[in-house]
Amino acid sequence: MNAFNRRDFLKGCCVTALAAGTGSRARAYFAPPPLLPATATDDTLVVVFLRGAMDGLSLLPPGSASPYRADYEASRTNTRVPLSGTGAALALANTTWALHPRATGLRALYQAGHAAFVVAAGQVQPNPVVRSHFEAQSNLEFGIGGGGGNGIGWLTRHLVSGGLPANVPLPAASMGSITANSLLGSSDAITMNSGSDFRLDTFHWSWQNDDAAHGLVGGVSRMNALWGSNATLLERAGMETLDSLALLRPIDFNPYDAANNPDGYQPTGGANYTLANNGGFGTQLRNVAQMIKLNLGLRAVTIDLGNWDTHVGQGNPTQSYDWFGNQVESLSQGLSAFYTDLSTAASGNLMQRVSVIVVSEFGRRVLENSDGGTDHGYGNVITVLGGAVNGGHVYGTYPGLASGDLYEGNDVAVTTDYRQVISEALIRRMGNPNIYYAFPGYSGYAPLGIFQGADLPPSGFDQIFKNGFEAA
Amino acid sequence: MASAPASAAFNAARRRLFDAVFAAVAPPTDPLLSRRRPGRDGLLDDLPASPESLTSPPPAVRWLVRATCGYSTLDLIAFDALGSTDDARWQAWVARQLAPATIDDSACSSRLASAGFTTLDKTPEQLWAAREAIGNSNYYQRMLPIAETECATLIRQLHSQRQLFEVMASFWHDHFSVFGWDYDGGPLFPPFDRDAIRPNVFGNFRTMLQATCESAAMMYMLDLYTSYSGHPNENYARELMELHTLGAENYAGIVDDPDDDPSLPTYIDWQGKIQRLQYVDDDVYEAARVLTGWTISHSTYETRNDPNPGAFEYVQALHDAGVKRVLHRNFSAGGGQNDGTLLFDMLAQHPGTAHFIAGKLCRRFIGDVVPDSLVQAAADLFHQQWQAPDQIAQVVAFILHSNEFKTGWGTKMKSPARSVVSALRATLANFTPVPDNSSTYTPTEELIGRLQAAGQRLFYWPAPNGYPDTITAWSSTGALGLTLKLLPRLLEMHQTESYNNAYPFIVDVQGQTLGAFPNAADRTASNVIGYWCDRLLGYRPQPTFGVALDFFRQEAAASDPLDLVTDSTDNGQPQHVGVWHLNPPNTLSKHYTIARLRVAIGLLLCSPEFLRR
Repeated sequence: MNAFNRRDFLKGCCVTALAAGTGSRARAYFAPPPLLPATATDDTLVVVFLRGAMDGLSLLPPGSASPYRADYEASRTNTRVPLSGTGAALALANTTWALHPRATGLRALYQAGHAAFVVAAGQVQPNPVVRSHFEAQSNLEFGIGGGGGNGIGWLTRHLVSGGLPANVPLPAASMGSITANSLLGSSDAITMNSGSDFRLDTFHWSWQNDDAAHGLVGGVSRMNALWGSNATLLERAGMETLDSLALLRPIDFNPYDAANNPDGYQPTGGANYTLANNGGFGTQLRNVAQMIKLNLGLRAVTIDLGNWDTHVGQGNPTQSYDWFGNQVESLSQGLSAFYTDLSTAASGNLMQRVSVIVVSEFGRRVLENSDGGTDHGYGNVITVLGGAVNGGHVYGTYPGLASGDLYEGNDVAVTTDYRQVISEALIRRMGNPNIYYAFPGYSGYAPLGIFQGADLPPSGFDQIFKNGFEAA
Repeated sequence: MASAPASAAFNAARRRLFDAVFAAVAPPTDPLLSRRRPGRDGLLDDLPASPESLTSPPPAVRWLVRATCGYSTLDLIAFDALGSTDDARWQAWVARQLAPATIDDSACSSRLASAGFTTLDKTPEQLWAAREAIGNSNYYQRMLPIAETECATLIRQLHSQRQLFEVMASFWHDHFSVFGWDYDGGPLFPPFDRDAIRPNVFGNFRTMLQATCESAAMMYMLDLYTSYSGHPNENYARELMELHTLGAENYAGIVDDPDDDPSLPTYIDWQGKIQRLQYVDDDVYEAARVLTGWTISHSTYETRNDPNPGAFEYVQALHDAGVKRVLHRNFSAGGGQNDGTLLFDMLAQHPGTAHFIAGKLCRRFIGDVVPDSLVQAAADLFHQQWQAPDQIAQVVAFILHSNEFKTGWGTKMKSPARSVVSALRATLANFTPVPDNSSTYTPTEELIGRLQAAGQRLFYWPAPNGYPDTITAWSSTGALGLTLKLLPRLLEMHQTESYNNAYPFIVDVQGQTLGAFPNAADRTASNVIGYWCDRLLGYRPQPTFGVALDFFRQEAAASDPLDLVTDSTDNGQPQHVGVWHLNPPNTLSKHYTIARLRVAIGLLLCSPEFLRR
């Protein structure tokens, strides 16, 4: 189906790229650099995707001492987060930025030094910039600077090049019914919406499972024989699915209940994953925390939180109707529960080896519209949290909110490439220097200092492409 | 260094230490099932969707599987009566299906009537009044219009003889995707399906485009109702271009001065005007201005006193009367509502729209990857016929008669929703889904809940881009796993109350099997599984046939007649003689035989052959 084999593409094209030289821009653009040896750490990277374009200026508005506050207030009336009175923004240490009042959990993590924000972050490629949700989400997740390439996501390339041990039960999970684009093409990942749902248990009870003592062959175990061939995409998908179901079958993902489900999962530290809105997000975070505690070798996780496309009736925290605030509360409380749960595990503070990066496809326009909402913009806020995060700081260079500072006169400009933030996590937390393999087309990496960990010289994309790009 | 003392106490202590360490680190999973293990390096190999060696069902079955909501034996019997060769029958079948009014659909109509729906015939004004009267007092009543639309759609997919029509209705709902359970739009949903989509399923795209725009459900989905002069809301305009007409394949991003950019190609349109072939963000903003004033009466403060609350209206005073420029074409000042109709004309006749929609149609019917030559040929037809009242029927016929459609197989998989409907059609389920808010757990509730868990409840995709349509998406372990979980359960669900044995099954496996084999001596495992293979798959592929057969017969011979009349269950039916736990010999095959047949058929439903199309 593809014009070229993607395995050959990933493994062999570096030679082609070098041979093709500067004349073959298209091939050079897609070609990965030679892989550097990597030894994966035991860390887990959780990527939370806020689908629909989260309004970063409402999550992290300028505070009272901010030089951008006046421009912000001039642009935002119906969607403004105030600094005093009902719904006042929460002050943050070490910065003039403030936090949405419903983000109390995130604020506590920030003040404790476990969370950080990166302002004016986003996608510097492709150019021209796109304001389509679906294109921008796809671009971010495939991570090749625009387009879907050969259908392999950046997390897949990271895992392939990340030096994982020989046997890892579950290197990656995509939480949802459909695999996130960032994990497409991966044989490491399981995609599931809900751990407790993800099991085959619906055949007639008396023929559900094997009963070897009585010679009985159950329905579930016969499924493998139906899908035994590996001839087509579909058969392979069936086997991957049945193997995934079998792998997770020993795990009880239902909540602990002393009387009815004593083997269920009991979060620690009083973590409360029950969210007033977006309940599925809380459940998925709980499932991920459980899998991390079970030592399944989880290295990469994707989770979605949708409903951020607030063209109309975004709400503000002074009102009883506050759509955006409800969203923020789900995000903040969910991540806070996740942090609490994993940092109080019986085996120690597991958040020391868990990093969470919260991204969205783009930000929203600085000037609100007349429907109490905001339209598609560009630069946005990336939220980072984890035990090994240099938190309590806001990172990034802010271009400003005055009209002359805005991208195309309308949007927060992008000064930090999202790939820079993720690359730092890949190197310092995941032990993988092959960032230019994970992100073909990206160059010039330097750490912002968000994550703790050792620096490794990144893979040598720069040297190859300096000529190619500048000559083209 | 001194060697460690090898005392029993030391060994015991060491074992405890090891146990403690490994209890903390060893995962509870089977290492042989690890996702990363020797031989698996993290990257899936490229595989063909459909290799040459794939055995496939007969042509008629293949065509019917791809062009209906699911193949059933009754479809094949009807098909066989249509002519003397497969090709002639196919010609006749397509022609007949493209004229749905000529197909008697009284059985489906009776089902719909028996469901007792109360909201589906209401006018926009009546639905509006009902929504306002209910307010926040009763969520079930408020959302009943979308709940009934969902059930009625399932009933039609299951029971209508106008199968191609239902396939295309589903296609257009995915194309003009509206999340049905929007709190404001859900109560107004029925006219979107009834008046905007269904009358135009085989008709004219231009007509359907404007009809969807004017529908309250779409107005709320994409915020057009509140887009006024001076403050246009660009949400609808963007998706109109990206999702409904030109497609992202014709999007050039943010470009300054696009009309002076030589890298953006143009063409001469049907009115002799220059148009750009690709759109940029400026076109989105200008299109939003073009459509200001298109709204729903009473949906905003400005329209609170207008007539016909809930109906579409164009409000001149809210329309931006200034000059606009879209795709290189000028809209002179004072165009009024004609601005909008011109925009719809421009988009509907645009060659980019033709290519985008032809591509989606080809991928829906044929496979995820189709030759662009076919797409372009279908697009040319779509473009040439853009003003024809049967434009879409012509394009669909072209695709269904293409060589790629007629010879291909297995280049597509059934999505979760298609799998479920297909399974219920193949098993001739007696099932009329209806909404319900009692405490009873009905089969409708179970089916919809499980379909939602599998990722494809109808009218439930939250974003305006519609459900995906690729093997890559639906073969995700999450979607496929929950589909494999749902399919066997269909055979265990009871009428009225899903888990209550007192009610008949929605699929009468026992009755249908006994009916097919009136002579008890013929009820061998081999015959019975062969029969159900034909019913579900249209042929008897291996290893699927053998797997189901071996499961069904357990340790009986394939040629032994099995007792399909009595079963050993605990709900008052006759009991088999014998003891369940007696082992050996030859007793297991007698126990719970009817339940076991349901599981064997469930295995057929869970086979790759059933999910392939």
